[in-house]
Amino acid sequence: MTSRRNLSRYTGYFFALPYLILFTGFVLLPLFYGLTLSLFRWEMLSPLPAQFVGIANFQEAFHDNYFWQALGTTLRFVLLAMPPTIGLALLIAAGLRAAPTKRQSFYRAAYFLPTIMTISVAGILWRWFYNSEFGLFNAFLAPAGVKIPWITDVRWAMPSIVLMTLWWTIGGPMMALLAGLQNIPISYYEAASIDGAKPGTQFWRITLPLLRPVLLFVVVLNVIGSVQVFGQVYMITRGGPELSTRTLVQYIYETAFNNYRMGYAAALSWLLFVLIALFSFIQFRLMREQ
Amino acid sequence: MRLRRNQPSNQGMGLAGETMLALGAALFVLPIVLIAITAFKPDAEIVHFKSVLPQTATTGNFKEILGNPEEIPIFRWFLNSVLVSSAVALLVVTVSSMAAYAFARLDLAGKRWIFPLIIGTLMVPGQVLLVPAYLILNRLGWLDTPLALIIPAGGGAFGFFLLHQFFLGIPKDLEEAAELDGCSRWRIFWNVVLPLSRPALASLAIFTFVGSWNDFLGPLVFLDSVDKYTLPVGVALFQTSYYAEYGLTMAAAALCTLPVVVAFLFFQRFITQSVALTGLKD
Repeated sequence: MTSRRNLSRYTGYFFALPYLILFTGFVLLPLFYGLTLSLFRWEMLSPLPAQFVGIANFQEAFHDNYFWQALGTTLRFVLLAMPPTIGLALLIAAGLRAAPTKRQSFYRAAYFLPTIMTISVAGILWRWFYNSEFGLFNAFLAPAGVKIPWITDVRWAMPSIVLMTLWWTIGGPMMALLAGLQNIPISYYEAASIDGAKPGTQFWRITLPLLRPVLLFVVVLNVIGSVQVFGQVYMITRGGPELSTRTLVQYIYETAFNNYRMGYAAALSWLLFVLIALFSFIQFRLMREQ
Repeated sequence: MRLRRNQPSNQGMGLAGETMLALGAALFVLPIVLIAITAFKPDAEIVHFKSVLPQTATTGNFKEILGNPEEIPIFRWFLNSVLVSSAVALLVVTVSSMAAYAFARLDLAGKRWIFPLIIGTLMVPGQVLLVPAYLILNRLGWLDTPLALIIPAGGGAFGFFLLHQFFLGIPKDLEEAAELDGCSRWRIFWNVVLPLSRPALASLAIFTFVGSWNDFLGPLVFLDSVDKYTLPVGVALFQTSYYAEYGLTMAAAALCTLPVVVAFLFFQRFITQSVALTGLKD
């Protein structure tokens, strides 16, 4: 009996092993390999072998103006993109919730459609919209005599990226917020209406408090995603003009795959990871305290 | 009061409200419709915008794209994308469902510390793994092959977590009855648990397929040869090689988008379900 019991503790591995091997090889191993790499100086194209340098890569990052610039650009993107994304997603979700049941899924699909576009297609499309000479937006503005340097001016480039991001990424948070709204019983609103509460009051007193867990989830996820912004910048501005839209991930990408400085790129990746962990931690704390 | 209960999602939106909602929806879809329309325009009409609809519609862009398999192997890219995305979806669903079942139901030595380890990696952004994964794939000799895009995807924690939670929600009675009838663990999994989990498996498969179909950074970093490209990186080539030829670019973009839009409209319910479960999109 005991031996059979002991044996059964391992039959589970028959089921779990294929996944566990892949998980170990392609998630755990790269994670720790990356940490090790970050302690080495390794220029992949040079004949010199990798050399242990301790925390020198992190020290280099600390004095690297390009790193600080990319970090600043990334944070600017998060601050500019997150609030309107979440705000608009909430507004659309509220609209969908109130929409007639028959047409709700139709509208929902329409708002979600951009989210399933691949970034190269979405990027090519918006690059054409934004083109100052023969772009669609300036063609529409031409009759008014206005010509906007959407992606060629340092001041306009980042807001343009944010606008495109809003269109491309609103679907996910919208869907999660809609699910959250649908979990709030309609009877709460009916009771509030009978007591004479106006729609605005109902929103602040019923919707927001009950939606807070979902809202927290969506905000954290959005910030984590935004910190990793890469595709739209790579496709639309290539980080320009004057590096004004080059974000951390693009800097890591260029360090690793244009300059082949693998150790330094691994160190920068870990700094990005720490930044993301820090963000999530702070947000959970802030939202919990409220 | 009683009557309104039957339509819980309708709080009585006015005509003005619904008009706003519909206008917004049109605004979101319009750019995608524009790809399709513009793909039928000659270059001159794209560069000098006169009207939304083409004045002289042409299929020339599509002919040129589809007719130059040497220069523009778009059909090849399409096949590569189909192969990679299907393989990824199949692999993820297979290995994740088996492991999730083991962790949800079976006695597993070391389960208590392996489970949080897996779930913890949900927090790790893919970019952190990019450089070391590239070096590991290089060591394995898998760079510039479809394997580089397929095999690592099987280790992701998302599908495992989704199915684990789903299996926990299935009542144990059915499995216990099958066990009393002398079914093996494998038969219980195959004949009882999996059929009950069809919606969750379908959601995960479609969601994984679309994610892999749209993946850009992976193929950009791991592939070199143009004929091994998937559609997204292939289409991105147009921005550098065919810089000024907007008609060609739009036709390629339309061909790349069409399958995803069709799949989405067909499987909308499954996709939106899994997004609502996770709320994710980065």
